[in-house]
Amino acid sequence: MTEQEVIDKTNKVFEESFEIEKERLVPEANIFVDLGLDSLDIVDLIVALQSSFGVKIRNEEKVRDIRTLQDLYQFISSIKNDDGVKNG
Amino acid sequence: MSLKRVVITGIGVVSPFGNGVPALMKGIEEGRSAVQFMEGWDQYNGLQSLVAAPVEMQGEMRIPRQKRRSMGRMSIFAAQAADEALGDAGITLADENLWRVGCVIGSTMGSAKSINDVFETMLPDRDLSKLNSTMFFQCMSHTATVNVAQYLGLTGTVMAASAACASALHAIGAGYDMIRLGRQDILLCGGAEELHPTVTGSFDILFATSTKYNDNPQKTPRPFDRDRDGLVCGEGSGILVLEEYERAVKRNAKIYAEITGFSTTASGVHVSQSNKESMITCIQQALGDSGVTASDVDYINAHATATIQGDQEEAEAIREIFGADVPVSCLKGYIGHTLGAAGSIELAATLKMMETGIIYPTLNLENVSEDCEGIQHVMHPLKKPIKTILKNGFAFGGINAALVCRKI
Repeated sequence: MTEQEVIDKTNKVFEESFEIEKERLVPEANIFVDLGLDSLDIVDLIVALQSSFGVKIRNEEKVRDIRTLQDLYQFISSIKNDDGVKNG
Repeated sequence: MSLKRVVITGIGVVSPFGNGVPALMKGIEEGRSAVQFMEGWDQYNGLQSLVAAPVEMQGEMRIPRQKRRSMGRMSIFAAQAADEALGDAGITLADENLWRVGCVIGSTMGSAKSINDVFETMLPDRDLSKLNSTMFFQCMSHTATVNVAQYLGLTGTVMAASAACASALHAIGAGYDMIRLGRQDILLCGGAEELHPTVTGSFDILFATSTKYNDNPQKTPRPFDRDRDGLVCGEGSGILVLEEYERAVKRNAKIYAEITGFSTTASGVHVSQSNKESMITCIQQALGDSGVTASDVDYINAHATATIQGDQEEAEAIREIFGADVPVSCLKGYIGHTLGAAGSIELAATLKMMETGIIYPTLNLENVSEDCEGIQHVMHPLKKPIKTILKNGFAFGGINAALVCRKI
């Protein structure tokens, strides 16, 4: 999966599940402060991303360090790449 | 300690006729039925009743996302009805001491569609990882009251009543007692329920639903009618603003009526069948509580779901207390049986009838069934001054509820 595909798919989750306008989805946006997600939303974000990307991320330690959209794109890319490596 | 008086100062409704009390009353005035054939319900193997009275949800996106995410359909109905009721009452919550303002809202269960979606998502693999956080809040049995409270920012009593078809009257009765005791000043009370094939299915399994009118949906339900064959489920919400009388008068509020009596009894005999004796006791206690006799009552809004047994028992109970002296009608022919919301939606319409002095007839009552005779059935609009009304509600568990209101 390319970087842009990760960005597009991630942004789609924010638009559809959280009703956030495309224009606000900039890499430096803080998910909590700028996009207004709270703790309940984070649970749902994880579920939606798992479904969208076909990955398991809920129990990943690094999930707790995510603050911005850029952090999230990088995290998902690394999970997808790890998956790619595992699956040879 | 003297008890406070309790009045109704606002009403709000979401019904199968649309959002708002005017839409409900227009449908009733025009003698329309909101019952329709439900496309796709025949996919449920064994479901015999394929008719219902659904709400076309509208305006829900006006509820902010983070308030709306925990709301299934029924909670959205309740929030919208609560908004209308508060506006109708002329109450601005920002001006109130919110520790003294709460809500008591009942329903049979949590959001039926959400419950169904949870199990469809989780089964057959028993995979919990696909469930999101907010589904639980939509499914829990007190979902309507919690969602209205968090939507409006209420910090007083937030309580749920769960008594199936008597839920709304139970909620109103509980609210009445709380204000009478001086515990709260304002309570938004009522019920909410949503439609789903499995909801109709639960009655269908018991042979309690209407199954003979699938190709003629608007001819059912038929309360008290010779050709009645069971209930038709509907959905929606009715919310009433109950307020302490002195403060309502002080702020020059419009007062629909005073609640003067409430009673609830149970049959103690059977989980589903109604029972005349316990209905009679319930009604008599509500009248006694109210300080009125049968001859003081101007109109009875019946529960009458159009089941064979239920209508017969209710008619017998009414006949025993009131004879044929008091006009009786039921609104379920127009909007179906809205279950947990029935008591409050139908009470809201009854209050409007009190306002205009017109009693609307029982839709689809064309030939009074022999087992429902001996009471004064309203079969055409009846102009009559209405000062005192009785509202009945009867539910699974043999639970009975009766409310008396008086215009002041």
